Amino acid sequence: MPTEELPPDDVPLLELRSVRAAYGRIEVLHGVDLVLPEGQVFALLGPNGAGKTTTLSVCSGLMAPTGGGFYIAGRRMNGAAPDQLARSGVCTIPEGRGVFPNLTVRENLQMMTFGGVSLADVEAVAYARFPRLAERRTQLAGTMSGGEQQMLSMARGLATNPALLLLDELSMGLAPLIVEELYEIVAQIAAEGVSILVVEQFARTVLGVADIAAIMLHGQIVRVGPPHELEDELSAAYLGA
Amino acid sequence: MDTNATTPTHTAPAARPAATGGHQRIDQFKTEIAELDVKTPADGNERWYLLAGIISMAVGMVLILGGYIGASGTALVAEQIPYLLSGGALGIGFVIIGGALFVRFSLSRYLRFWLIREIYEERAQTDRLVESLGAIEALLADRQNR
Repeated sequence: MPTEELPPDDVPLLELRSVRAAYGRIEVLHGVDLVLPEGQVFALLGPNGAGKTTTLSVCSGLMAPTGGGFYIAGRRMNGAAPDQLARSGVCTIPEGRGVFPNLTVRENLQMMTFGGVSLADVEAVAYARFPRLAERRTQLAGTMSGGEQQMLSMARGLATNPALLLLDELSMGLAPLIVEELYEIVAQIAAEGVSILVVEQFARTVLGVADIAAIMLHGQIVRVGPPHELEDELSAAYLGA
Repeated sequence: MDTNATTPTHTAPAARPAATGGHQRIDQFKTEIAELDVKTPADGNERWYLLAGIISMAVGMVLILGGYIGASGTALVAEQIPYLLSGGALGIGFVIIGGALFVRFSLSRYLRFWLIREIYEERAQTDRLVESLGAIEALLADRQNR
């Protein structure tokens, strides 16, 4: 059903309709359909090279789709610049965290004051959510543990007060306990009304907080459903069974 | 660096109201998205560039022709120079730019069709190969069963 015909409340916050994307002539997304309703957590799972990060790149405006449509709050956004989307409230937390290792926690947070938010406000949000960062605020980000760096990365993203959060491989290189802790925070953020699209390769922890899950293979979403239903199918999908 | 040496002197204040006021934030987000000036990429750009190339070449030819007619109408070199510049040089410029656009975009069209044809032929060949292998397998199975 076209989004335009739906009542405003039913319009998904993020929707991909038959999205195709390519790196040069090599097409990596072959018609991806995805619907993320308002205030929900969508877990996109799949093996390496399935096209998950490319999907996120399309959603954040970093890559323009070569076909199909990419909609935010019912509006077609093909061709929207990433900075436009970021300013409006689409926040991407990239794979590999992307913190500045030679800057302190506080200085890293200061980087998020470009939008006119004061450092005090940015710190307030960050330390309220991650009290451990308050303890580490004068420490160089590069000397912190992987989990703390991920917290900093998330704190920086949340400082922009996002409405749509795109998380790429939150669990990468982290201990299961830390991953669990981070996903608890993700659940809290979702409870506040933020819509979240999480991309994960291995972590089943994400299924515990997700409202919808999907398995992606070879540039296509092969299965969408409630997380508990997909859990059993994950191994089979990864092994190509 | 001794990470534990840093004592938590900062008392974490409450989060900004906007961060927790979910619905208000979402409504604001929707409004901002609706007001964004998004330049949708045109799908048919290539065709327009090709057309622009052809038009540019035609304009260039007309300018050159005009320049020639103008210059041939006078025997004075001083009067011929403006025709040479506005007709000849400008016309040649238009022809070169138009030609470059035309070659660039017609070549990319040609290469794309060529690539698609290659892929199509390769697939057809693979299908024929698979079909032949299937026939051979069927024959071998048939012979074994006898």
